[in-house]
Amino acid sequence: MSLGSVAPDLAPPTPVGAEPPVAIADAGHGRRSHAALLRYIARRLIIACLLVVGLTLVTFSLTNLVPGDPVAAALGQRAADDPAIVARFRAEYGLDQSLPQQYLSYLNRLLHGDLGTSWQTHHPVAEDLARAIPATMEIALCAIVASALIGLTFGVWSAYKRGRATDQVLRLVSLIGISVPTFWMAILCFSTFYYRLGIFPGSGRLSPGLAAPPHRTGLFTLDALLAGDFRTFVDAASHLAMPVMVLTLYTVGLLTRFSRSSILEVLETDYVRAAKAKGLSGWTVFRKYVLRAAAIPILTIIGLAFGSLLSGTVLVESIFSWPGLGTYAYQSASKLDLLGVMGVGLFVGLVYLTINLVVDLMYGLIDPRVRVGR
Amino acid sequence: MFGIRRPLRLAAGAVLLAATLALGACAQPPTPSDSPGPDGSQIVLDVAFDLKTVDPGREYEPTGQIVVKALYDTLLTFADNDSTKVIPDLATYEASADLTEFTFTLVQGRVFSDGSPVTADDVVFSLERLQGLKGNPSFLLDGVAVTKVDDQTVKLTTEAPNPALPSILATPSAGILNAAVVKAHGGTTDETDTAEEYLNANSAGSGPYTLRSLDVASQAVLDKNPQYNGSQRPTYDTVILRNVDSATQKMNVERGESQVALSLSGDQVASLSSSVKLTSASSATVIFLLVNANPAVSTLTSNPQFVQAVKSAIDYDALVELAGAGAAQATSLIPTQFLGTLPASQALTFDLEKATADAAAAGATGQTVTLSFPNDADPTGLPLANVAQRLQTQLAAAGITVELAPAPFATEIDAYRTGTEQIGLWYWNPDYMDPANYLAFGPGQTVGLRAGWPTEANPAIADLVTQGYTTGDLAQRKALFEAWGLAMNAESPFVPLLQPASNVVSQPSVTNVYYNPTWIINVAGLGRA
Repeated sequence: MSLGSVAPDLAPPTPVGAEPPVAIADAGHGRRSHAALLRYIARRLIIACLLVVGLTLVTFSLTNLVPGDPVAAALGQRAADDPAIVARFRAEYGLDQSLPQQYLSYLNRLLHGDLGTSWQTHHPVAEDLARAIPATMEIALCAIVASALIGLTFGVWSAYKRGRATDQVLRLVSLIGISVPTFWMAILCFSTFYYRLGIFPGSGRLSPGLAAPPHRTGLFTLDALLAGDFRTFVDAASHLAMPVMVLTLYTVGLLTRFSRSSILEVLETDYVRAAKAKGLSGWTVFRKYVLRAAAIPILTIIGLAFGSLLSGTVLVESIFSWPGLGTYAYQSASKLDLLGVMGVGLFVGLVYLTINLVVDLMYGLIDPRVRVGR
Repeated sequence: MFGIRRPLRLAAGAVLLAATLALGACAQPPTPSDSPGPDGSQIVLDVAFDLKTVDPGREYEPTGQIVVKALYDTLLTFADNDSTKVIPDLATYEASADLTEFTFTLVQGRVFSDGSPVTADDVVFSLERLQGLKGNPSFLLDGVAVTKVDDQTVKLTTEAPNPALPSILATPSAGILNAAVVKAHGGTTDETDTAEEYLNANSAGSGPYTLRSLDVASQAVLDKNPQYNGSQRPTYDTVILRNVDSATQKMNVERGESQVALSLSGDQVASLSSSVKLTSASSATVIFLLVNANPAVSTLTSNPQFVQAVKSAIDYDALVELAGAGAAQATSLIPTQFLGTLPASQALTFDLEKATADAAAAGATGQTVTLSFPNDADPTGLPLANVAQRLQTQLAAAGITVELAPAPFATEIDAYRTGTEQIGLWYWNPDYMDPANYLAFGPGQTVGLRAGWPTEANPAIADLVTQGYTTGDLAQRKALFEAWGLAMNAESPFVPLLQPASNVVSQPSVTNVYYNPTWIINVAGLGRA
């Protein structure tokens, strides 16, 4: 379950908000090519900035459309009966201003890197996010690396063995991967591998009583390694294993299906057939012709899958008591903590914008057709 | 240019990372027995967190109360197994005959965690800060003036007689802080105070534990306070409270990864393994129905005969069964742990015939009334949605057609507070251990007004409310609150339904497990077999 899930259909993926790849330059004109590339990047960056402003407006409006008074949700029943306390609360969080004023002051604070203070945790939202994001990032990074490796291997293998038993088995595996709800898989894994078999440890990022490694990246496994603390590393990695496994299963299914179909498409093309006829080795054909051409849609889907993993895996985090972004988003929403919700919304939006931007830019680098020009 | 080599290198790096992680994952994880858990001096408690801060002047959430209770001693307190009678903690007290002056004499020799003595100045600062922060618990000391008499004596003066004050001073929010330390970190006695950040990372109290670390989203770690010289004898060197979903809590405590689970529902404890111990008691949370007496909200629900019909149409025993082991019928709005509660024999009873007759007489001829409730609220593990569905069926049997209107707590609370619900299903947790808490349900009082029930609607009960706020004599108070409870059962627009169970599941090695209505569990009181 995720906040922004990737639809597992097999239509050619189009990145959200992406422009069609542009002809960056003419062949043989290095300087002009360079300038065009810079212009292209600049245009994409400007568009991204405008989208960010739009994003703040959308998150702000949607959050404030929610019926219900944050005062009633944030204050205790007795406190909410005291006009002085209510007035102080409204003033402290700027709720005594009109909505446009609130939005402008939100934007103003945002420009100074201030996302406001959460009335759920009494902490600056930016600090809360800085604490929650690495927890989710750790799962998401591991899951995306594992799924990219396994998913691509499966996809390629399946495409080359098209129609044979291997292909059928791999397709079944990937179908199971994308069909089984992740939260159900999480419960199943938790109760089997932790509760019944005791192979993996239970909830949280570390065993109780074990101090978090000195903060460098916020990724406990990496921080523990950097600190040379192998015991904490083992503990953190073993806590990480199950949530990563569960999320990997879903993403592997998705990537297997996508890479299989992309590669099949390329395998059918004339230039691949020509390359084979020319007597090139199978590995060279695969490396230089097939994989390169199939890379763009695969890259796009990896990017989107990573965004979906990062943008919050609410139920999986809840089952593993993982103090990440999904947990924070859920808690903020249920407590009507508007600034917390906006902070998460903004971050998730930024993740997708960045991924799309990066994928767009990489098109130009990967695809010779794009590089050489129309 | 950009060939395949770079991606290959990247992939190789990724493989290495994944392999390292896999290696770590496959290595034998530390089993519970490796950690100093059950056999050592560490205890792990799993709780579904409701926690914003552990600054005594600001916290007012159940999990915050557990932590603050362990960090900060109060002037007075309650014994673990008796929450009806206040006992001295940091001070002894005497009250004036008219219950407007309370003089507290500090117990000699008590010290804060930094070794400095607890003085009258600390008490004055802490209580004035609680009032001045204008936070959630500030209302506790409304209308109370705090003055220092000498280094060992503090006098609290109230505007009106306040027999509940000793109980109020036993709530964790009234914990006494080390004034010098708090002031050094931005502490003041008004809204300019900035000490919360410090108090969420360090503690400055005289309680049996000190705060090692706090993450409001995941865990609180407490260490035994070596300077503590109060009357408790904390057993465990380290106490860890973790934020864990209730389904996971059950597995953790059964596997021994945690020693105590605090958020299990009646359903969950029904299937517990025999390896753990269940301490089940009815909680002090009262689930009740509000039947709006304001004709402008509904002409039907405001008919007193309709209220009578609702009261008789409910099969209370069936509701208790629904709520699971440990739950009990709320005999009046005052729960069983409090002075002035009613015996079971005087509770409301189920009488379908009377209900049907009353409903018909009130003019309930199939028109629909709305029953609103917060559908994400599950006081002590019992989802209100389950109760609402059962009520709908029971009321239908008496000819009362009810439409359920669930909404998230954060949204629905607005309608509840503004008194626009026709029928509301809500719950009330006590703010402090005194029956005066419940006078808020009286006519013209906070909750009474939410049911459209002004003072003039029932002057007799309104008079009992006034007396309840001012009578100090224990025996008189008991009789008075019982009379109030009976009158409310008979005439008020409120229907007390249930006290759901409070379940504490623990490893057999953990002893002295008691549920407390205010601070849930006293971690310093937990022992080891």
